[in-house]
Amino acid sequence: MSRRYVLVRIFSTAPVTEEQFAKATTASILTYFGEIGLSRISPKLIRFDSRRSSAVLAVAKDYIVEMQTALALIGRIGETDASVLPLKMSGTIKGVS
Amino acid sequence: MFEFMDMHILPKVDDESSCARMAQLVALSGYKAVGLSIPTGLLGDRQKFLRRCFQDKGVEVFLRVDLTCSKREELLKLLRRFRSMFDIIGVRCTSHNLALIAARDRRVDLIFFDSTTRNVWFDDSIGNVSMAMLELNLTSVLKTPNSLVFTRLRKDIEVARRHNVGVVLSSGATSPLLVRTPIQMASVAEILGLSKHESISGVSTIPQSIVDRNLKRRSRSYVEEGVETIVGGSDS
Repeated sequence: MSRRYVLVRIFSTAPVTEEQFAKATTASILTYFGEIGLSRISPKLIRFDSRRSSAVLAVAKDYIVEMQTALALIGRIGETDASVLPLKMSGTIKGVS
Repeated sequence: MFEFMDMHILPKVDDESSCARMAQLVALSGYKAVGLSIPTGLLGDRQKFLRRCFQDKGVEVFLRVDLTCSKREELLKLLRRFRSMFDIIGVRCTSHNLALIAARDRRVDLIFFDSTTRNVWFDDSIGNVSMAMLELNLTSVLKTPNSLVFTRLRKDIEVARRHNVGVVLSSGATSPLLVRTPIQMASVAEILGLSKHESISGVSTIPQSIVDRNLKRRSRSYVEEGVETIVGGSDS
């Protein structure tokens, strides 16, 4: 399966942990696209930098629109208001580093 | 010339740090221009401050006013008063009648519907006569993310496509955390039924065409639709 790598920045009113971010992403995909959508998008958290509040996600190439939508619709992570903005997308991890 | 534009940002005009943060996020998201919706009575100093906030981050600013009223006469009066003062005019449609009047009026750039207002939506009778563009605000989805809101947005898009009405995608952000990137907004619209090209146009070429048209209309040489004064021109 061909993948795309997305660099995202997380903006929130309080610090967000890796687990909270992963949970929020999965929950958003499940809410808007369901279990089948989740299996199709098959997101994978490659890297999480809590200092910079950034993360790299690997996503199935054909479902990048669904992934962008799910990220756009995240309004809360854990107990804090948050937004996730994808800043860069590439076919290689190096491209988003 | 700008590439991406968010036509509907509602900054907290009294909160300087929030405005600065918003400007930072808008610039980071890749926008080159924004439509700042401000109260009609906002003082010149505050307007200048807001402009500076965004311009310092490399974002071009266009001032916008959102008109809300209940009667036809009231809307026409407001349009007469504010058309020349603002770059963009949007009308929040709170009733079907008002939506019809706003859609027909050439002075209105955008019409939008509140997801919380029941029994008012962008239907065929409005789409048929609409000269204004339909604006979809992402905030309505973020604030009430339920199937009813999505259904309504899908229907709005369906009607707009049927009648060739341009769809503008805006964030409608009232706080920095409600700002989304243009690609995210286009993705949401694509999921809701717009084509890839239409959704990208909704955050780029359509807003640009609205602003360009209004700048042209406000220029000295503009007389009427299709009529301009050519200064220093020759007929050879």
